[in-house]
Amino acid sequence: MLPIAKSELVQVLRDRAVLITSLLMPLAASAFFIGFRDVFAGIGSLGYVAAVLVFTIAAFSLYVTTVTTLAGRRQSLFLKRLRSTAAGDAAILTGLVLPVTVIALVQVAVIVTTFAVVGGTPADVLLFVVAAVATFAMMLALGIGTAGVTTSPEHAQVTTLPLSLGTIAVASWVGITGTQDLAELKRIMPGGAATELMVGAWNGGLALGDALLLLVPTAAWVVVAITIAAKMFRWEPRR
Amino acid sequence: MATNPVIDVDRLGATYGTFQAVQDLSFQVERGELYALLGTNGAGKTSTLEVVEGHRTATTGSVRVLGAAPTDRRAVRPRTGTMLQESGFAPELTVAETVRLIGRLSGREDSAERVLGLVGLTRKAETRVAQLSGGEKRRLDFATAVYGRPELLFLDEPTTGLDIRSRDALWETVEQLRADGTTIVLTTHYLEEAQQHADRVGLMHGGTLQREGTVAELTRSLPASIRFSLPPGAATPPRQAVPLEDRSWAIETFELQRDLKQLLDWAAASKVELDGLSAAPTRLDDVFRAVGTDPAVPAPR
Repeated sequence: MLPIAKSELVQVLRDRAVLITSLLMPLAASAFFIGFRDVFAGIGSLGYVAAVLVFTIAAFSLYVTTVTTLAGRRQSLFLKRLRSTAAGDAAILTGLVLPVTVIALVQVAVIVTTFAVVGGTPADVLLFVVAAVATFAMMLALGIGTAGVTTSPEHAQVTTLPLSLGTIAVASWVGITGTQDLAELKRIMPGGAATELMVGAWNGGLALGDALLLLVPTAAWVVVAITIAAKMFRWEPRR
Repeated sequence: MATNPVIDVDRLGATYGTFQAVQDLSFQVERGELYALLGTNGAGKTSTLEVVEGHRTATTGSVRVLGAAPTDRRAVRPRTGTMLQESGFAPELTVAETVRLIGRLSGREDSAERVLGLVGLTRKAETRVAQLSGGEKRRLDFATAVYGRPELLFLDEPTTGLDIRSRDALWETVEQLRADGTTIVLTTHYLEEAQQHADRVGLMHGGTLQREGTVAELTRSLPASIRFSLPPGAATPPRQAVPLEDRSWAIETFELQRDLKQLLDWAAASKVELDGLSAAPTRLDDVFRAVGTDPAVPAPR
């Protein structure tokens, strides 16, 4: 797995298009949110800004890059090449997504820490981290699943739009309007409960019982996303 | 029947949806043998090879490779090298990085420098794969396949896109591997390569194996041919000659030497000059064409 991850990291660093998508775009978006944090906090709260930062990185750095990378490797038959070796499927897939995941995790850690320094620290750091990690796991698995219906890196620009924009929209909807109305609907949407967790963890005031209840749909979405990935992912282009 | 075959395919069937690509296919490859699996387009040889290589599972029947299921990668892959029909490399990696990566994942020990030297890519070691020509990519593919001297080597269209010198160099390496006891499965559209190098040939058409044997056994089933032309007014040639067009004649024979001598004796006795005389033994191409046009052979479903 590690040789694959190392080769993948080398490729990511040498591919300008991937670098722009996975590094510059999320950084620029995050800088925008942090720079105008008072405006966004006025619309929602500081917790909302933090949640949107996490979802922006998860959507663009992790989800879109995962889909683009896997679709490209499959299109060029690199996946088939790797499967002609002794490496197992799980090791291959893990090796391929590991660099992208680590890059995204480092990004989110740096950006959220920066936001905490300039905007104030979260009330419950551990809960925030749990919610952020669950969000990353869900987006990674959704990325593997979406790669199954994506024929090429170019096609990924289309197939990733619904989920990347959709999850950020859900995070904004939940973060801005709260869950006083339509609570069940908002919580069962992808990223809805995770957003509520992150907002509560950052702003404070979330009871332990409520936090545990919100972890259920958050974890359920991780399971759903992994199931989708297992069913939809393909190793070779369709004939 | 082989007692301990390296590859044992028994009544294999492979289906895609409603399309039956391979049906009831059985063959064995013995240790140290170079077995050429040939076929017309759509004959099912790629599907067969993908099952044997472990990239696809059989719909029916069974396949054993080195005593294990071909999908058992940990058991089979460290002992097999695969040269895929299409390269499938990461364009941003260098040639040396690619060989090291695939070599390490193969589970065999070797050095990238040695295999790159074998295929003449030493000077391209630090070049990115994206900058290689098609022929250089094929050579890189071959380098990754022979990394660590595998017991079993799959060569899928190995010389497509190679110039004649690269082709000769590749076959020289293959012959060295054979001398060391490597078992090789070859598919190719260059029938002269199969004719020259294969110990046995399997000819597929319509998803089934139509002929199998050594080149000598396969070509023995079809007649050799003698062609010549006669000047105007010449006497009628021996009775087995069949007239073609424009004073040309043909003799189809299973006794090439005897009939050629008879023809030359007749020409000398008749004082006739045989224009454009040629005598050709039966080639694999002829067997291949006969299989491809045999109306008794079913078309793919």
